[in-house]
Amino acid sequence: MRVSINWLRQYVEINESPDELADMLSMLGLEAEVPEKQHFSGIVVGLVIKAEKHPNADRLKLCIVSDGEEEFQVVCGAPNVDAGQKVPFAKVGAVLGDDFIITRAKIRGEHSDGMICSESELGLSDNQEGIMVLDDKAKPGTDFNDYFTDQDYLEIDLTPNRPDCMSHFGVARDIAAKTGRKLNQIIYKEKEFKSNDVEKMLTINIEDPDSCPRYVAGVVKNIHIGPSPGWMKAALESAGQRSINNIVDISNYVLLEMGHPTHIFDYDKIPSKTISIRKAKKGESFKTLDELDRTLTDQLLITDGKHPIAIAGVMGGYDSAVSESSKNVLIESAYFDPITIRLGAKSLNMTTDASKRFERGADPDGAMNAYWRVVELLEDLAGGEWVPGIIDAYPKKIVQKSITLTRQKVDILAGVDLSDDFIKDTLSSLEIVVDESGVGTWTCKQPPFRPDLEREVDLIEELCRMVGYDHIPASFHYKGLYDPGDIDPEDGITNITAVLSGLGFNQCYLNSLTDEKTSNLMGNNAIPMKNPLSSAMSHLRTSLFPGLLQTLNHNIHSGFNHLRLFEIGNIYYRDTEYTEQLQLVGIIHGEMQSENVHGEALPHSFYTLKSYISGFFAGLNLPELSFKTNKHNHYEYGVSIRYNQSEIGYCGKLNQSILTVLDIDAKNVFGFQIDLKQIIQAMNQSIKYESIIPFPKVERDLNFVMNEYIEAEDVILSIKNAGGANFQSAFPKNIFRHKSLGENKKSITFNIMFQSPSKTLEEAEINSVINDITATIEKDFSAKLRDQ
Amino acid sequence: MSILESIKSVRNSFRADIDSFPTDPREIESLRTKYFGRKGLLAGLYSTLAELSISEKPAAGQQINSLKNELQGEFDRQTSYSQTDEKGDQELLDLSLPGLPFKSGSVHPLQQTLDEIKSIFKSVGFKVAYGPEIEDDYHNFEALNIPKHHPARDMQDTFFITDNMVLRTHTSNVQIHLMENREPPLRYVVPGRVYRNEAVSYKSYCLFHQIEGLYVDKHVSMADLKGIIDYFVKRFFGENTQMRFRPSYFPFTEPSAEVDIWDEKRGKWMEILGCGMVDPNVFDNIGYDSSVWHGYAFGMGIERMTMLKFGIDDIRLFYQNDVRFLEQF
Repeated sequence: MRVSINWLRQYVEINESPDELADMLSMLGLEAEVPEKQHFSGIVVGLVIKAEKHPNADRLKLCIVSDGEEEFQVVCGAPNVDAGQKVPFAKVGAVLGDDFIITRAKIRGEHSDGMICSESELGLSDNQEGIMVLDDKAKPGTDFNDYFTDQDYLEIDLTPNRPDCMSHFGVARDIAAKTGRKLNQIIYKEKEFKSNDVEKMLTINIEDPDSCPRYVAGVVKNIHIGPSPGWMKAALESAGQRSINNIVDISNYVLLEMGHPTHIFDYDKIPSKTISIRKAKKGESFKTLDELDRTLTDQLLITDGKHPIAIAGVMGGYDSAVSESSKNVLIESAYFDPITIRLGAKSLNMTTDASKRFERGADPDGAMNAYWRVVELLEDLAGGEWVPGIIDAYPKKIVQKSITLTRQKVDILAGVDLSDDFIKDTLSSLEIVVDESGVGTWTCKQPPFRPDLEREVDLIEELCRMVGYDHIPASFHYKGLYDPGDIDPEDGITNITAVLSGLGFNQCYLNSLTDEKTSNLMGNNAIPMKNPLSSAMSHLRTSLFPGLLQTLNHNIHSGFNHLRLFEIGNIYYRDTEYTEQLQLVGIIHGEMQSENVHGEALPHSFYTLKSYISGFFAGLNLPELSFKTNKHNHYEYGVSIRYNQSEIGYCGKLNQSILTVLDIDAKNVFGFQIDLKQIIQAMNQSIKYESIIPFPKVERDLNFVMNEYIEAEDVILSIKNAGGANFQSAFPKNIFRHKSLGENKKSITFNIMFQSPSKTLEEAEINSVINDITATIEKDFSAKLRDQ
Repeated sequence: MSILESIKSVRNSFRADIDSFPTDPREIESLRTKYFGRKGLLAGLYSTLAELSISEKPAAGQQINSLKNELQGEFDRQTSYSQTDEKGDQELLDLSLPGLPFKSGSVHPLQQTLDEIKSIFKSVGFKVAYGPEIEDDYHNFEALNIPKHHPARDMQDTFFITDNMVLRTHTSNVQIHLMENREPPLRYVVPGRVYRNEAVSYKSYCLFHQIEGLYVDKHVSMADLKGIIDYFVKRFFGENTQMRFRPSYFPFTEPSAEVDIWDEKRGKWMEILGCGMVDPNVFDNIGYDSSVWHGYAFGMGIERMTMLKFGIDDIRLFYQNDVRFLEQF
């Protein structure tokens, strides 16, 4: 919301600079900013000497603009350009925006030496409707930087709890309360009347009092439509609004002044002389002020008894709007239920200045005040004659709350000493009526314009706001709360990322929203969004792989081929209920080591992958890792990752078909997935120390010829089983394939270790075990010991 | 020059050369030639013997011999230093060559920030809890004092799964789960991923990460809240960081505040987090007696903290995972 500092000065003295005022308001909870000062290049005040129709174009005008010394011919497309206006004139060579340079042009056969600018072209507002018209007193030729010095306004970003500050008076009230300066009330007269004549001209019928608790109306006759006086135009402009005509301006002005929305109808266009307020019927249609046909559902309507004439609290109707020919007008100043207005505006996808105020909670008493203010202005500025009387239909009285404030609660919550006097004075300055009902207890009356003040804490916030949050001391007193138990269930992730980073992996963070096709590619029961941002983000991911593969693709395209990537994140699916599962997924691509002076390139393979997995578990000090050959439909081949004999993941070569579907420019991508929760659980098991054996290890190599299909891991298990009590380990040391071994045969050399915890092993003992092992392997695998 | 002086001169020259003994094999070879070659300095000395008288010859000869032994011994020792011990002179090392290529990885900047923030709060007695991203309307809104049709719902554009299920818009849903399952007092931080149905740009993404704090006890005040935030800000951004608290509005806290830190480079206050005293309606909703229990809550965006700390100006970089970005952290 734009707030004019000059306008604020009508109600409260302001000595602060715009920056200081913005700071003060921000510290009051009205987040304010001084807009960045514009710099204009090559723009001067111009005088439009002549504005005539362009000879070759109906919508263009051919103007003569003077900069005080020279005259220029300018083609202008704005409908509102007119002779005698002072305008911002961009001469040839001027720069608009960042880089739009004005050059000499020929438009429909006529020269144009410059441009008359709109506010939006100057970057002053979004207003594109026509050119900006300057103050009459501006001197042609003046540099626009010198003319436009008074960017005398602030932008305030209001929180939704403060509808009372959606007006200049409301903002001024907070400033006065904070500074202790006098608050000047808005001056207007509540007129007296002997007979309520307007009742003969108008019947108000509220069919839905819950939605429309109060409807104030009256009539002003014989108005003259015309331009607003200069002071009003200037006021509206300073708050970023355009002047339309005196009638429309009055309603807008009162809104910016007091914060209460009003609507002015053309009385003669409501021949029924009846206002009925009801909910729309489904499918009912209606043309609003902005000339759009609206199809209604159940919005609250103002009707003439039959047909809608306005969408209550949102926008008036086209047919009942004030026009050039209007004579008699009907003033509406109502209080509508916030939720009703919010739902109505939302269902039509409309947000208006009025709806914003009503949906946050308008002031029910403000309805009356605004009525009188509008009447007065219609008389003063449009020469209208007020029809004595007022209709105040108030079927559902809005009652202000009575709130008890206690010293005890203030002291606990505020954390700063606040005296009784401060409490009473501050609340009074916010127009909260305070009664001291006992020692340290106050009974406070909620002001009608503060729907946000309902409870004791709300008042305490007001006190904190006014004393200033910067005056609340910071307490560094540590309040003990000793609570053992699990301090951080995901603590292990820090270590996990460190180990993977040490293994050369880059951690990625990826979007958990993806498209439908991708979500179904590597998982089931993907969860769709009801209101997706786009079809590319319509579902929650069921796998971390696609995101990582797309990241791989992105980096390959930037010239980085040799990558190790991982992500820790949730996947999501729905079976019986919504499920989120924390996973660790990684991929590797390219080379583990590139070609270098010391050796050949080492491309990534299933075995480099396995070494990373082993290195990862070793880095986390998790010794019970094993693998088991297994199938998985996302992989061409691979193995299960097992820990303590339970399956916790899988690794292998990713199916090329997945890469093809995802359009990834890569081959031979290896990947792994691990259930993170289980890893973290394993990490939490404490280490048990085993004593160091002082006796020597004995090692033997055994070389077996066996069928190609036999897996080394199975042979090792057999060696272990036959290896007796002193068996320590067996490790495949060498694999040899040659046709001399026979068709489909290989030989594997196993390096086998023995060690006794209690003595030095003797040759004879070892030989006996070796014989057992040999016999077992030859039997179990139809293998043969190869001659050494 | 007498023969003795010549001997002395060769010795001095040799000493000087030995002081800067070369590593390059060719230079070593030319040094060897200079002294021990057929036309070398020692050979030169021997040739001058012929010009001496018979009586002088034996003594001078002896002196030259002992010089030769001395020089040869020294030269061999120096040569052996510059060679590998075992493999002989064919395997000389070029120490300027790089080592075997070694690829280091990286921990994502968001992870680093999260780890740091968690550790700061753990150091002052906070535990860490986690909760669901797929949440019902009650835990994400209603229980947090954001009823249906409340304008505060506009503060957060929401992804809906069904009318009643959403992707959480903040981590505050976990406050409710915590309090539903535990008796006060309690003190937790809650990190996690949250979603906003907003167009993606350099300053907003459809999802981001938050970390939220909650402390509930009998006597908790705004001063306690300022204390913990002050402690956090100074540990995270540095001890000299200027900070300000200003009033704001959140449905689940009252009074509410936003916290800014002063950005010297931009010359303005930068918002870093929202906080406040737990709204009594929230306590009422989960069944804590709001006349007895008080508390504070705060929440901040991990992306925002990371961007401020490292000077990153585009939030999308976090999710693009370009290795040229990742490897800087």
